[in-house]
Formats: sequence, C-alpha cells, structure tokens
Amino acid sequence: MAKPIEISNLSKTFRGKKGIRVDALRDLSLSIEPGEVFGFLGPNGAGKSTTIKILMGLITATAGSACLFGKEISTAQARLSVGYLPENPALYDFLTGREYLGFVGKSFLMAAADIEARSDEVLGLLELRDAANRPIRSYSKGMVQRLGLAQALLHDPDLYVLDEPMSGLDPIGRALVKDIIRSLKQRGRTVFFSTHITADVEAVCDRVGVIVRGKLEALDSVEHLMRSGIEGYTVQVSGGAPEEGCGYDFRPLKGDGREYYVPKDSFNRFIELISAAGGKVELIETRRKDLEEFFLEIVK
Amino acid sequence: MYTLFSLNLKWIVRDRILQALLTASLVLIMLVPVLSSFSMRQSQELAVTLSLSFISFVLLVFTLVLGSTMLWRDIERRYTYSVLSLPFDRGTYILAKFLAVAFFIFAGALFIGLCAALAIKVSAVRDPSTLPLQWGRIAVSIFMDSLKYALLAALGILVSTFSTSFFMPFFSAVFIFLSGSASQDVYEFVTSSSGMKLNTAARVAARVVYYIVPNFGAFNFKLQAIYPIPLDPLQIVYAIAYFIIYTTMALSLAIWCFSRRELT
Ligand SMILES: Nc1ncnc2c1ncn2[C@@H]1O[C@H](COP(=O)(O)OP(=O)(O)O)[C@@H](O)[C@H]1O
Ligand SMILES: [Mg+2]
Repeated sequence: MAKPIEISNLSKTFRGKKGIRVDALRDLSLSIEPGEVFGFLGPNGAGKSTTIKILMGLITATAGSACLFGKEISTAQARLSVGYLPENPALYDFLTGREYLGFVGKSFLMAAADIEARSDEVLGLLELRDAANRPIRSYSKGMVQRLGLAQALLHDPDLYVLDEPMSGLDPIGRALVKDIIRSLKQRGRTVFFSTHITADVEAVCDRVGVIVRGKLEALDSVEHLMRSGIEGYTVQVSGGAPEEGCGYDFRPLKGDGREYYVPKDSFNRFIELISAAGGKVELIETRRKDLEEFFLEIVK
Repeated sequence: MYTLFSLNLKWIVRDRILQALLTASLVLIMLVPVLSSFSMRQSQELAVTLSLSFISFVLLVFTLVLGSTMLWRDIERRYTYSVLSLPFDRGTYILAKFLAVAFFIFAGALFIGLCAALAIKVSAVRDPSTLPLQWGRIAVSIFMDSLKYALLAALGILVSTFSTSFFMPFFSAVFIFLSGSASQDVYEFVTSSSGMKLNTAARVAARVVYYIVPNFGAFNFKLQAIYPIPLDPLQIVYAIAYFIIYTTMALSLAIWCFSRRELT
C-alpha cells in the first residue's frame, strides 16, 4: 500500500512585495507510515503550516513533490481520504454547526443517513451538541476549533492532517483532543499534526520531526529520544558506610539515608560499590533531558 | 458541484445584502404606478420604461455586489482553506460560484419582473394606451437584461480570481459595465465618417476596447418592449450565442487563473 504521506525534496520560497524572498521550506523529505501518529514540531514561523498547505493543495511548492496515498497532491482525489483541520479554522459562519457538517459530508460523497449518524457522533464527541443548531457566527474560538476537528473526523478518513489542533482550547479541550488522537491510533488511523508544544508530542506521538527555519533538523521515534535523553539517575540509599559512595555527590536524607546523583555511564559501578559497602538501594529515579530541552538545543 | 452550488445559494439567501436589495426593489416597483400617473399621455409606456429601468438597476447593483465580492469574501475571511481543502477542484468551485450568482440574477429578475407586471397592469388599466401591452416582449427584454448581468458577473469573478482586494473587482466591473454599455455607440462613432477625423491611435484603441469589452448593447431589447417595434429573432439568437461564447471564455480564464492562485 502507498504511504499516507510521501514528501520528497519539497521547497517553498515566498516572493513578497518589494522582492523580499522568504525561504519558508528547504528541501524537506519525509514519509509517514500507515497507523503512526507523527508530531511535526517547530517554533513559530518554522514552516509547519506551509508544509501542510502544500499537502492540501492550497499553495504550490517551488520545488519537489508530494503524494497522499500515492496520489499527486495537485489532484482533488488526493484529498478524498484525508481529514484536514486548518490552523485557526474559519468555517462558513452563516451555517449552523450541523449544516456545516452536512456540507462537508456531501463534499466527501457520504450518504445522507451516514452524514446524520456521524454528525451526531462527532458533535457528541466534541461536546458541541447544544450548539449544533446555532449559527457558527455565535461560536467562541474554542468551539470553532472543536467544530473544525469534528468536520475532519466526520468521514472517518484514513489520514488526519491537523494544523495545531490544540491551539485555542482550554485544558479540558486539549485533553479531549489528545484522547481523540490516541483513539484514532488505536483504530489504525494515521495522524500528522503540527505543534510548537513538546508536551503534546510526548503525550501522543510515535515519531517526531523537528523543523526549524524551513529545515527538518531531527527525525526520530519519541521512545528512542526519551531513552537517549537519559543522563543519569538519582539513587536513594540507606545503611552502609557513606564513604563508599565516594566520588559521587550526595545529600543526606532523614535518618541514615543519602541521595546520590549518578551519571548514566557509572551506574553499574556505583551499584557494585554500594552493595559491597552494605548499602541498600531504596529508590532509583531516572534523570533525563526532556523533549523540551532536546527541542531547545536543536532550535539554537 | 451541486453541493457547492447550494452552499452558495444558502449564503446569498442568508445575506442581508440580498434582503435589503429585494426590499428596495419592491419599494421602487411600487413607485411605478405613482410616477407613471404624472404623465398626461403614455402612462402605460412610461410604466414599462420605468419598470425595465428599475429592474435593470437592481440587477446591476446585485451583480456588482455579489459577482465581485463573493470570491473576495471567501479569500478575505480565509474560508478558502476549509473549502478548497475538501475534495473539490478549483474549476468546480468557480463554476458553482458563477452559477449561484447567475441563478439569483435570473430568480431576482423573475421575482421583480412579476411585481413589475402587476405595477404595469395597474397603470395600464387606469389609463389605457392605444398600443397593446406586449407581455412577451417585456419578458424577452428582462431575460436579455439578465443575460447581460450574468455575463458581467462572470467578468467580476474573473477579476476576483487574480486580485487581492475588494476594490479591484468591484470597480473593474463598474468600468466594464460603463464601457460595455457605451462600446457599440463608440464603435459606430469611430467607424463613421466623423470618427475618421480622429487620429489613428485613438481609433485603434477604441477598436481594441470594442473587441475586448463585452458589447452590452447586444442585449438591449427595451425599445421593442415599449414601442411596437418587431423583435428580430436573429438578434435574439445572436445575443444568446454572444452570451454563451463570452461567458465561457471569461469563466475558462477565471478557472485557469484561480487554479494557479496561491491561497496563503
Ligand atoms: N504568504 C506569505 N508570504 C511571505 N511569507 C510567508 C507567507 N506565508 C508564510 N510566510 C513565511 O514563511 C515562514 C513559515 O511560515 P509558517 O509555515 O506559517 O510557519 P509555522 O511553522 O508557524 O506554521 C514564516 O517565516 C512566514 O513569515
Ligand atoms: Mg502555523
């Protein structure tokens, strides 16, 4: 089967007024596997939305090409099995929420009965039931964002392309979106979403790509990053002779307890020393660079 | 296609501009019997003339407002992101916009036309004319007028596909309307003996404009509706063919432009 997203050597240069050129995207190559949740992480202005707009056929790349499920992005068919949430979506505000979903459903050639059933489902999921028959004009920013997500979910596509899905939402809304992404993964759907918040990536992603100033600077599985980010351990020890921890910093705890900081490389040696001295390990905690630090390092 | 078409219809129906315009046109039409009664003789002819002019005016405002702003509003309010990322191609999107505007031009013409018929009837009954009322010709005249505005709407959409502001398509449409309405006269003047006295550059320029700008004079059947001048079927066929060809070209060009447009 063709990959949900296949991007090869994509570049985009904006030519502004007065001949100012902005290289928003430089030679981006990336492919997304079926069933994975991919976090497209980058600071503001990194080129995330530019990439996504190119994928959705809204703007054209200066160079390179991309396919969705093997179909060229310039064709309307490429978008048939994609649910897209634009960044800060603007939805026709003269329609009600339910009418908007009806419009989207018809665009994806869904049957009328399906549209109705699925509309109820997604409106309930995003807690928009009460507002469903009100014009979108009367919605708050967070409600529009949730309806944007609802319309992306409506036709139950295989691929989701979400541009900053958590932005504009309160903590409850953010948690809800994370839950939705997790359940999509369970059902084998592919999710590609952009964000500038590392915690969101940690919470739901299988893989992360870090984009800075239009260049893909890192691409790795989140699990591997988390493991390789381990720097050392905090170990609480009781009993034994304090001197035997020699060479390692410690601070005394209540009673005869001590807390050591042990770098990753010397952990085994440390455990040997401690047990030889009759010390008892009470607690081990990993000390790691989190994704945030990793991200900040790359951005610098 | 139908999905986008009906979406646009809904938009126009719920738009306050349409409601305001329809109300205004009803008020105008109700003035017809009043105004025509001021005329000593020929109050029926005056009623027909006034009705046709009012209808034409309302349709013009309608076309300028909708034809040149619908696309702009989509882009300005960033609705294009959510709509054009659905599996529509841009050609369908442009055609649906045009058809929705054209539909409302014809529906509006029919609605105001029926009201006008009532107003004309009132004037005619109150002060009968020696000439019979030519309902058929009045209908033809209104229909041709609608074709003219549908063509203008297509041109308004064409300009919107490459402009970023509201002013450009709006004033282009105004300019096209004015020059298109005058182009037949100007052309005839330029090719007449008195026109020969102009310098060559001006004559060539006038000719170029004549061929580019649509000739709205071809859609003018008002005289036939008011006075007993027979309709020339050939002229009708010519006008319809002209409409089809010109509109097709304008829309094809619009689709071509819009397909290349960056929606940033
Ligand atoms: N229409 C445009 N004209 C000029 N520059 C643009 C345009 N759109 C985006 N850019 C620039 O491209 C870069 C990437 O923008 P974007 O993809 O929106 O970033 P983000 O990662 O925050 O989504 C930014 O520097 C932005 O200023
Ligand atoms: Mg963005």
